[in-house]
Amino acid sequence: MENAGYMLSAFIIIWAALLGYVFMLSRRQAKIHRDIELLKENISQQG
Amino acid sequence: MREIAKACVIAAKDMLTEIRTREVISSVVVFAVLVIVIFNFAFGSNQQAAGLVAPGIIWVTFAFAGILSLNRSFVLEKEEDCIEGLMVAPISREAIYLGKFFGNLLFIFLIQAIVIPVFSLLFNVGFFNIELVLITILASVGFASVGTLFAAMAVSTRARELVLPILFFPVITPVIIAAVNASAVILGGGVLSDITQWLGIIGAFDIIFIVASYLVFCFIIEE
Amino acid sequence: MKRKVLFFISSGLLLASFYMVLVFVPTEKDMGIVQRIFYYHVPLAWIAFLAFFVVFFASIGYLIKRKPLWDHIACASAEIGLVFISLMLLTGMIWAKAAWGAWWIWEPRLTTSLVLWFIYVAYFIVRAYVIEEERKARFGAVVGIIGFLNVPLVFLSVTLWRTQHPPLTIFTEGLVGSMMATLMVCLVAFNFFYFYLLAEGTLMKADERTVKQLKEESIRRNP
Repeated sequence: MENAGYMLSAFIIIWAALLGYVFMLSRRQAKIHRDIELLKENISQQG
Repeated sequence: MREIAKACVIAAKDMLTEIRTREVISSVVVFAVLVIVIFNFAFGSNQQAAGLVAPGIIWVTFAFAGILSLNRSFVLEKEEDCIEGLMVAPISREAIYLGKFFGNLLFIFLIQAIVIPVFSLLFNVGFFNIELVLITILASVGFASVGTLFAAMAVSTRARELVLPILFFPVITPVIIAAVNASAVILGGGVLSDITQWLGIIGAFDIIFIVASYLVFCFIIEE
Repeated sequence: MKRKVLFFISSGLLLASFYMVLVFVPTEKDMGIVQRIFYYHVPLAWIAFLAFFVVFFASIGYLIKRKPLWDHIACASAEIGLVFISLMLLTGMIWAKAAWGAWWIWEPRLTTSLVLWFIYVAYFIVRAYVIEEERKARFGAVVGIIGFLNVPLVFLSVTLWRTQHPPLTIFTEGLVGSMMATLMVCLVAFNFFYFYLLAEGTLMKADERTVKQLKEESIRRNP
């Protein structure tokens, strides 16, 4: 069971990075949709 | 053919500017010699080590000096808005690229002509044989091919001193590897037939990237 | 709707791969348990290079068609590619440490990936330092094209360079059936995952553009 530490850290890094990236994407997406709604509201109020 | 003639006019213009001001060549040469001297402090005391790393040092020096020289090739154009002038003139964008490319190549050759003897002196390494000249010419063509394209791009960004090296160094990697290894072989007593593969790589790089840069240059200096 | 499907397929396959890599596949006798990194390292590398090919293709598409969608695809793919190549380098380094005791080895595939990493970074730095949207896309496209053409040459030169040193084989020869199956599952899983991320990323870039346009519209109406 030598080097198990290496394998474990590699796995953790991979899954943490991928999940983290997906999470970051969904947060960015939510913010963008919020912005779009706000701006559309803004414009319809002005127009 | 006429395109090449027009390109030569642009190169001649750059040369003329330089002859009159003598800004670039002098500063780049001084810089290059400084780099070599600093490397000498790092390795020079050990004669054996110096001989081993000499090819690496000279090519790293050329890469750094090349960046300086390539940078200025478009800085003047940008500052005086000469780019617009060039674009309005009856020259194709491709000819502008060729002209700048020739100009840059000539500058690089000139700088090398001065730096190499200094290097030979300081490092006790003979650089005057035909194979090394061939390597140097081919590699310089490679530098100038992508360097001209990237310099044109960098000068239009907000951080030109950062952008040019960031683009140039990774892309120029095959040329550096090939040039350093080929030079090492020749300096170690090899002959032309030993370095054909390396020359092949540099040659392939030159052809691919002259053509590619020639084709995409118009997208850089648009508008 | 299609994105949801992609998401579920990739998630399912990724979970399957998790099980296969950790439980199903037998431990390789030479390297021991660390060898299991291989089943992720290879797909990561494959996707990193596939992503860059997509950047290349979309860059050409943008320069020809000038439709923003092409730029969105290129940019999204570059982002994903950067993530995957970073992971590939990290897993490669862990592998190297476990197998040869050094965090870094100048092996052709690893070295080429390192250069590609720098080119990916250059792609984003160039885009970051250009203000106008259209020029940002154009410059990015040029970096994408030149960078991609550079990769084979880098690999060639590094391979030639390293043939002078003892070869370091990363991959052992024969793959037993279950190992091959595990590798295939991982490969397919990551492919689906990449296309899911690409779809999400592209649409997000398009939305970001919409936000910019709406902001400008809003400012225009209410200065």
